Amino acid sequence: MAASHADIVATRLIAGGAAALAFSVFADSGLEHYRGSFANPTMVLPIGSAVLGLTMNGRRSAKPESSGSEVPTISHVGSAAIGVIGLGFHAYNILKRPGGASFNNLFYGAPAGAPATLILSGMLGGIADRMAKGEETIATLGLRSGRMVAGVVSIGILGSVAEAGLLHFRGAYHDPFMWLPVTLPPVAALSLARDVVSDEAHSITTGLLAATAALGLIGVGFHAYGVARNMGGFRNWRQNILAGPPLPAPPAFTGLAIAGLGALLLMKKGSRRG
Amino acid sequence: MSDKQSDGPRATGGRAPDVFTPGGWVPMRSHEDSEEVDFVIVGTGAGGGTLACKLAESGFSVVAMDAGPYWRPLEDFASDETEQQKLYWTDERIVDGENPIAMGSNNSGKSVGGSTVHFAMVSLRMRPEHFATRSKLGYGVDWPIGWEEMWRYYAEVEQALKIAGPVRYPWGPKRGRYPMRAHPMNAAANYLARGAEALGVDWTQTPVATLSAPHGKAHPCVYRGFCAIGCSTNAKQSVLVSWLPRALKAGAEIRDLAMVGRIETVNGRCTGVHYHREGEWHFQRARNVVVAGYAIETPRLLLNSANAEFPDGLANSSGLVGRNLMVQLNQAAWGHVEDDVRSYKGPPSLAVCEHWNYEDRGKDYAGGWSYMSQGPLPISWAKTLAGGRGLWGQALIDEMARNNHTVGLKMVGEVLPDARNRVTLTDETDQYGLRIPRITFAYSDNDRAMMAHATDFMDRSLEATGATDRWKEMGDTAHLNGTARMGHDRRTSVVDADCRSWDIPNLWVCDGSVFPTVGGVNPSLTIQAIACRTADRIRTMAAQGEL
Repeated sequence: MAASHADIVATRLIAGGAAALAFSVFADSGLEHYRGSFANPTMVLPIGSAVLGLTMNGRRSAKPESSGSEVPTISHVGSAAIGVIGLGFHAYNILKRPGGASFNNLFYGAPAGAPATLILSGMLGGIADRMAKGEETIATLGLRSGRMVAGVVSIGILGSVAEAGLLHFRGAYHDPFMWLPVTLPPVAALSLARDVVSDEAHSITTGLLAATAALGLIGVGFHAYGVARNMGGFRNWRQNILAGPPLPAPPAFTGLAIAGLGALLLMKKGSRRG
Repeated sequence: MSDKQSDGPRATGGRAPDVFTPGGWVPMRSHEDSEEVDFVIVGTGAGGGTLACKLAESGFSVVAMDAGPYWRPLEDFASDETEQQKLYWTDERIVDGENPIAMGSNNSGKSVGGSTVHFAMVSLRMRPEHFATRSKLGYGVDWPIGWEEMWRYYAEVEQALKIAGPVRYPWGPKRGRYPMRAHPMNAAANYLARGAEALGVDWTQTPVATLSAPHGKAHPCVYRGFCAIGCSTNAKQSVLVSWLPRALKAGAEIRDLAMVGRIETVNGRCTGVHYHREGEWHFQRARNVVVAGYAIETPRLLLNSANAEFPDGLANSSGLVGRNLMVQLNQAAWGHVEDDVRSYKGPPSLAVCEHWNYEDRGKDYAGGWSYMSQGPLPISWAKTLAGGRGLWGQALIDEMARNNHTVGLKMVGEVLPDARNRVTLTDETDQYGLRIPRITFAYSDNDRAMMAHATDFMDRSLEATGATDRWKEMGDTAHLNGTARMGHDRRTSVVDADCRSWDIPNLWVCDGSVFPTVGGVNPSLTIQAIACRTADRIRTMAAQGEL
């Protein structure tokens, strides 16, 4: 079947979202693992994987037709696998500390959910790749209804909300704007989940996802302000970029929301067809 | 810089140093000596500084004096233990008794902001039963204030100082959420935690008065670890950077380098204070005088103010001014471990165990104690090794070389009130011509039994974590309290529950001196809670025409 215009745009959006996630992982794990002095050599893996994912997804977004190469598949499966392994390492890092799974260890140990971003990037990249190849299903799940992508995005946003909620709790919500990422994105995720269940794309979801995408970018600005509020501000950037709120973290919301918009596009096309 | 503190007072001419800006100033309301202000407060530490803020915010005219300088931490504080000796009260004093107290770094400050400028930021609440030890536990003496009320004021102080504490506190009644989250634990704190887990007792992150997130113009803590010699980033919520900026904004005047030498009385009421500033004696008129000089300078001033009306000193009809001086036991256990601990990284006491404050069984003594992880700076550590352990020469050098592998636990233990432990005056005089205090102290058998139990327990905790070459430091004390105790009865106390003296209705004492008992926690949070309560009571009494 020839790809429709909507399919092509959706593929671009989903691959673009996966690329944004990969960028977030690259910058965030790069900074945080540098801060951790690469104490374990495997700490370079997510950085390498994210660079590869960024390249593959970036190209897919620019050129939404597949040449049939299996390299993207290897990249996306690799991302997901490294993400899964990362979850294990991060859990070990938290649990080995006195107090185990306590709040303080969740605050200051390796971030429990962060490696999942790499899994999400791999999953969305894989889906975009399959779509570019003109495939209709992954396993028995239909690709082109958009519901699967939307489901992945919805769960991904809720996971990111949990992470932001935990770390903003660590910061005692000292700035009222810190409540934004734990209020707006969950509404967007739930609205998207409702659309998945009802198989009907509501325009409110589009608005909420667009706002979530914007919030991810605005968040970088807020985090930059947070960095500036540390001793020495940006004059002391080498310390404060590591000590302050992570600059690359908020765009994970942007990546997920962009992929979610792609999913909505597919769902709308489906309902028009029906 | 031309603006050195040695040049004289900074808080003059309608402005005071802005602690948040190098070289900066903030406007300050000023009063003439001849103007009768509502309150003159002697001392600007945990008691006086807090009270000055709260009274000014209630609309009273306030002049708060401090013998020490008005620092701007961002430019005046160095990462240098020797330079920072300037924060301590090292004026001449005579210490005697069976166990003379070492004065200075561990118990007295001479700065605007008082000892909170160099305190270790540990901000613990006293156990509820410790406000009524006589009736609940059968020792000591009851406070005239109930614990529920004190715990409400603790919450106010914790909020004001943005205390960073654990999400769940393992001991005592449920408390509200700390305003900020606890800091990450350093390696020294992890050793406390592992030891406590091995011995089957709870532990938690110490609630500390240093920011874990930005607050106003103050940055979050950068974990320099120089907290106990003065924080140069303003993360530490000393009175200097927390209550006093608020006090200035509310219209209080703060006079630095102003040593109060005598309180004047006429017809049984205070009329003001004589103070020494810029080489001369002045007299500030006031409707009320609050003494907040901590447990040595407070009784010293009350005794030095003796006159024909009050020949035994002010507020002293009970004869208790200067008596019942209480330090807190500060013994420690130390040892070596394999890994690099670098215990001086971050705030010095990031983990705490209050088990023995809340557990009364298994003790052959009365009272409670807590213990915390430690992070001594190098000179202080060398002094501990030389003084407390008797090392010298090559042995001292070798031990200092193992500094990065040293871990320690230190107690804060309750010393019981004893009238023989006291502050009196000698005939010698100081640079102001004022009689200097004599500080007499001896441990009781109860204190020794507590020390033995605590050092043994802490030693076992270190042993359980694999520490070797362990030893016990038996000499140290911390904090000073109790020389103008509060109580229900004018015959057995100096002030009432409102910190108002029984003898002179417009004379108040508001600092650690008023503690009837000290409990097993650091006193600064309790002193500030008392100051907040006193301010509320004064406002209420003023409204009812009872001042």
